[in-house]
Amino acid sequence: MRRLRCFLADLAPGEGPPALAAHRESCLRCQAAGARERALGRALGALRDEVVAAPPGLQMRVLARLGRQDAFDPRRALIARAAARYAAAAGLAGATLAALLAGVLRRHSRALG
Amino acid sequence: MTAGEVQRAEEELLARARNGDREAFGDLVGRYQDTVYTLALRLVGPDLAADVAQEALLRAWRALPRFRGEAAFATWLHRITVNTAWTLRRRARRHTAEPLEGDREDGGLLPERAGELAELRAGLTRALGCLTPGQRAVVVLRDVYGWSNSEAARELGITETTAKVRLHRARRRLRVLLEGVR
Ligand SMILES: [Zn+2]
Repeated sequence: MRRLRCFLADLAPGEGPPALAAHRESCLRCQAAGARERALGRALGALRDEVVAAPPGLQMRVLARLGRQDAFDPRRALIARAAARYAAAAGLAGATLAALLAGVLRRHSRALG
Repeated sequence: MTAGEVQRAEEELLARARNGDREAFGDLVGRYQDTVYTLALRLVGPDLAADVAQEALLRAWRALPRFRGEAAFATWLHRITVNTAWTLRRRARRHTAEPLEGDREDGGLLPERAGELAELRAGLTRALGCLTPGQRAVVVLRDVYGWSNSEAARELGITETTAKVRLHRARRRLRVLLEGVR
């Protein structure tokens, strides 16, 4: 049971019902896991200050390949992908709704007939 | 140069570059190529990082007339880099067998227990390279660069829930890799 609570506490750090928060506060195992998580967070955050030098010649290669400026949106592909995903989801939802309505209408007409 | 003077000099470079001044853009590339390359390196690893950095800077040049200064230039460049990394990785993935998203099974990466922060940092870069690309991108943007869940999700073209799940898995795997803890 204790193991299960430890597992749940680890699954959603900082979230969950009050009972889970109380468990986190009293369980040494969870406290140790929390401390490791925070140490990991600090170490990852510290990487922000480490800058790796770009390979030599990068600047020259970029400048040699500059084309025209056409205000092309570099995130266009991303937006198109997201739109396609929403359209697919909306299409699926629409088809499901249509099927449900058709079923209801069929039952309704059978009941009337 | 004071911070204010550096800022003004950069604004001037940006204004010139936006109007097609290649020399001014060259100066901006000189200023930002290391941070762009570093982000690319953390997102896609050493094999693809130089290509991503180059393509991101070229896209930035192309898109510069769109840049209105709503975000800092560095932030704008970072967003383009993330997007470019994703595009190039997709292309590269078609040619190589890459592990699927989800948990990879592995033993600890580092045989020694790395409890101390310094040891953790020493192994982190290697451990990041062992995550799936999706997990790595989320943990790098959230925990290294301090982006919000919604910002990371938006720029990676995934839902916020997916971002949260990947972040949780990434952190857990990093702990496993660094400490041999399961
Ligand atoms: Zn516990």
